[in-house]
Amino acid sequence: MRRTLSLWPLALLLALASAPIAIMYLFLLVDTVTNAPPGSAIPNALTLAHWRFLVDPRVTGDVWRPTVTTLLFTASIVAIVLVVSSTGGYALSRLNVPFRRFLLAGVLVMHAFPLVTLIIGVFLVLQFVGLYNTLTGVILVKAALMLPFGIWIMKGFYDTVPWEIEMAGVQDGASRFTVWRRLVLPQVKPGLFALALFAAIDAWGEYMLPRILAPSSDFQVLSTYLNAVSDPDSTTYNFNLFKSVGLFYMLPILALYAIFRERLTNIFGGGTKG
Amino acid sequence: MRLTICDFTKTFDRTTVIKDMNLVVEDGEMLALLGPSGCGKSTTLFAVAGIHRVDGGAILFGKRDVSHLPSQKRNVGVVFQNYALYPHMTVFDNIAFPLTIRREGKADIDRKVRAIAELAHIGDLLARRPSQLSGGQQQRVALARALVRQPDVLLLDEPLANLDARLRLEMRSEIRRIQMETGITSILVTHDQVEAMSMCDRIAIMDQGAIRQVATPSEMYRQPASRFVAGFLGNPPIVFLDGEVTGDGGFASRGVSLPLPGRLRHLEAGRPISLGIRPEHVGTSGGARVSGQVVFVEPQGRETLFDIELEGGAILRSIQPAGDDARVGDRVDWAVDSDRLLVFDRHGNAV
Amino acid sequence: MPFQRYLLGLGFLSPALLVLAGLFLMPVALTGIIAFTNMSISTGVSGGAHVITGNLLTGLRDDGVEPAALDRLAETVFEVTPEALARARAAGVDPAFVADIEERLVGRRFTDGRAFERELKGLPHRPRAIRDLKVAADLFGASILNTRFADAAAARQAVVGVLPDAPEATVDRIVAASYTGWQWTTGNFARLLSSPDTLRLIVNTVFYVAATLSFTVFVGLFLAIGTFYLPPATAGVFSVLWLLPRLTPVVLYAVMWKWFTWEGGFVYTAAEALGLPAFNYMKGSVPTAWTIVILVNGFIGASFSMILFSSALKAIPIQQLWASEVDGASRWQQVRYIVLPQLRWPILFVVSYQTLSLLSSYQEIWLTTNGGPGRTTSVWALESFNTALNNYTGDLQYGLGAAMAVMLVVVGVTLSVIYLRLFRFDDLVGRPKIEF
Repeated sequence: MRRTLSLWPLALLLALASAPIAIMYLFLLVDTVTNAPPGSAIPNALTLAHWRFLVDPRVTGDVWRPTVTTLLFTASIVAIVLVVSSTGGYALSRLNVPFRRFLLAGVLVMHAFPLVTLIIGVFLVLQFVGLYNTLTGVILVKAALMLPFGIWIMKGFYDTVPWEIEMAGVQDGASRFTVWRRLVLPQVKPGLFALALFAAIDAWGEYMLPRILAPSSDFQVLSTYLNAVSDPDSTTYNFNLFKSVGLFYMLPILALYAIFRERLTNIFGGGTKG
Repeated sequence: MRLTICDFTKTFDRTTVIKDMNLVVEDGEMLALLGPSGCGKSTTLFAVAGIHRVDGGAILFGKRDVSHLPSQKRNVGVVFQNYALYPHMTVFDNIAFPLTIRREGKADIDRKVRAIAELAHIGDLLARRPSQLSGGQQQRVALARALVRQPDVLLLDEPLANLDARLRLEMRSEIRRIQMETGITSILVTHDQVEAMSMCDRIAIMDQGAIRQVATPSEMYRQPASRFVAGFLGNPPIVFLDGEVTGDGGFASRGVSLPLPGRLRHLEAGRPISLGIRPEHVGTSGGARVSGQVVFVEPQGRETLFDIELEGGAILRSIQPAGDDARVGDRVDWAVDSDRLLVFDRHGNAV
Repeated sequence: MPFQRYLLGLGFLSPALLVLAGLFLMPVALTGIIAFTNMSISTGVSGGAHVITGNLLTGLRDDGVEPAALDRLAETVFEVTPEALARARAAGVDPAFVADIEERLVGRRFTDGRAFERELKGLPHRPRAIRDLKVAADLFGASILNTRFADAAAARQAVVGVLPDAPEATVDRIVAASYTGWQWTTGNFARLLSSPDTLRLIVNTVFYVAATLSFTVFVGLFLAIGTFYLPPATAGVFSVLWLLPRLTPVVLYAVMWKWFTWEGGFVYTAAEALGLPAFNYMKGSVPTAWTIVILVNGFIGASFSMILFSSALKAIPIQQLWASEVDGASRWQQVRYIVLPQLRWPILFVVSYQTLSLLSSYQEIWLTTNGGPGRTTSVWALESFNTALNNYTGDLQYGLGAAMAVMLVVVGVTLSVIYLRLFRFDDLVGRPKIEF
């Protein structure tokens, strides 16, 4: 009893520190279905008007096309990241590779130092190979940026698979490829799953690459859509509307987070522990 | 199938861990590779299995040179210390895996898996997953998986190390029974002398990357080739006394004098030797006698272990059938079976 | 033989190598190369051409090139050549008139437009309207000004054609100056070294990284230790809450901060109600802008360090805590003497990892203050990005931006190498156990 009482100040302090986040996310939910009188943050009326953009393209432009594009964008990135990380991570964890040390260090440096700084170089590479202003180009770049993390995570998961499993597989007459596919890959499923979740959330939220590498293209993802909608100079200047679009945009992430909280927390923290 | 290891050499990062090792395992024989950890026994096993490369020499299965074949082409079965069962597969799929890799027919696989499962007494566990099995059952599955494709050689890497004491006893005889029923040439790697002695036809004892002696268990126990072998085998361990040969064909050290075994009476006087005295040869019967004070008593149930301190300070160990004849502090005068004493020269080799 | 041994590993690694080489190494190399050019949106990224423009001539005059020569370059020359005649016919000038011109004036050259028109007026089939005559005359005019020459030789030929007796050096100068493509230069670095902005940017960056990092570490520690002692349900609420900023798409996160801090936003309304100064906190003053930049990034980082610290805390054997309680340690003493010492490595890790990502990240700043007000909250990475790719004026200077990026990469890689040593990277590299 005394123990619980003495924790009250601590909980209060924590609550105070968390207040900005709590307020922001609380109002993200509340504001999408209410109106507030001018000069006040406290809503006084319930309304569904802010969600009209879902059915009426005149409000902010069609939202469904960007949604489908974003789904496609995310799915492609997840697929690339999974395939390349699962093979690359395995090679670095278990196979004979020349310059292993150097490659591993390289992956780690690329991971630790996200080279969005190199966007100028990326921009030029895409121009040279003709993928500038295309969805494919942006997908490739985003997947590449995620790869060092993915490879590193997968290497960590492969490292935990007992060597004996592979030795036993080799003894049983299976080729190294079969051993990987049928014996090792099933052991790292949790890793693949966590990586897929992480990549999906990351790709879903990506804004800069589509904006910079495909500025005048005919596709829009939800991030660029939301940014266009919430432009302060737009005719639709209305934070309740921005938040509705934003909440719509974030719903899939919230759903994933609600279902897979444990795994996500692990990869967001543990993933970088090396 | 006869297994021959010929001048085998293994190097890791320019450090040679095994040099020019030679060993023959006869067809159908079960041989123990016994030694302290780090002696190179597992390295040898992995080289035979095709997991480690051979840096020199050759490994022959029958007449076939497999030195540079990957393990997929060697047809060896291995049971690993942690069993290495595939956790995502049922017991049936685990055992069937080597056969599915060979693309054998479904009916064939089913028949073979059931037969080997019967042999290993796990016929009723086929639908389970490894995580639902006890240690002993996992061990049996690993054994069945290693045997199902009738390997030329069966390799067992510390197979009992992860089992508790009771199961260890049970699996010791089970592995031996299955090995004898299948008649597959086997190598057992272990650091446990009891396993080696109870399960195998012969023992090869290894130390620092070299084989010190190859012999049957009883021969090795009775006639160890070196002080290392004598010290490694036997529980409670042997006691060594360093001293020299006396003029009358005896042995003297720090106030102890004992007659040498009959066959060694001719040794020249003054030669430095060490005497190995096993605890069971001190106590009730024998031609020589020693007297001293009991300094330690450890009742072990059926037997009792004593340490007695002789006048010169040397300590002898004795194991005797349980009784309450001596306590700490008692002075005793016990017999020593001098004909069973082991004698080693200055370099530790048996004389 | 050794190659064969690597075959499988290389096979498995090749997709990763391919992507990383194409989209990491190539960009690094390109950035390095571009840093030594004056590439910009006006030079283009491929090779350029030679064009003499009015601006160029003004520039050359200021640089002391003989004005008379430059004036002549700006002149339009009328010349009756077969090509010009064909042009005139194609443009639909009366064929009889063109025939007249060909017959009487072919090969003639006029440096004065009026003189040429006077000649044309004297021709029998001249057009009646003076406007048509002017149109026809213009078709014969040619100026070196604003004409594109594919290479230096063509440009030189044209210049010499206009200035046959100009000294070689002058011609060289004009030709060289007329090049529109990019050129090799170390000017970017010289400019960065000499510009007073550089120092301010470095100070800004250091301040930003240090402040955000401190926030991240201290808040993360506070959260981790706080939730460690709270009942699991309460602790769960906080950890869910603090992971949200990390999960939220950056655009939405920025929108939420705007709502929170702009006019009419939450803090604004609250401040008004309390009678405190209310203004656009994100853009209205430097201290509030900095606070927001640090909070925006700090909230994201704090969840990362909280997770790391929490898992490190869970790894502390509970018996140690019991033992310290038995020994009579207060909660504070427990934290100070048992918990914090065991968090040393995670803290060090967070500091090193976050330093790197803060140094190179700019998305959040870009989408909130975008370095404003003015450029007071701009940092190195953002400035590099804006210089190269996201200028307000559209004057994208790839070369200068790349030079800035290169310097950042050098700092980042140096730090990474130090960290790799610090965290005993070698322990992570084991040799493969299956040797075949």
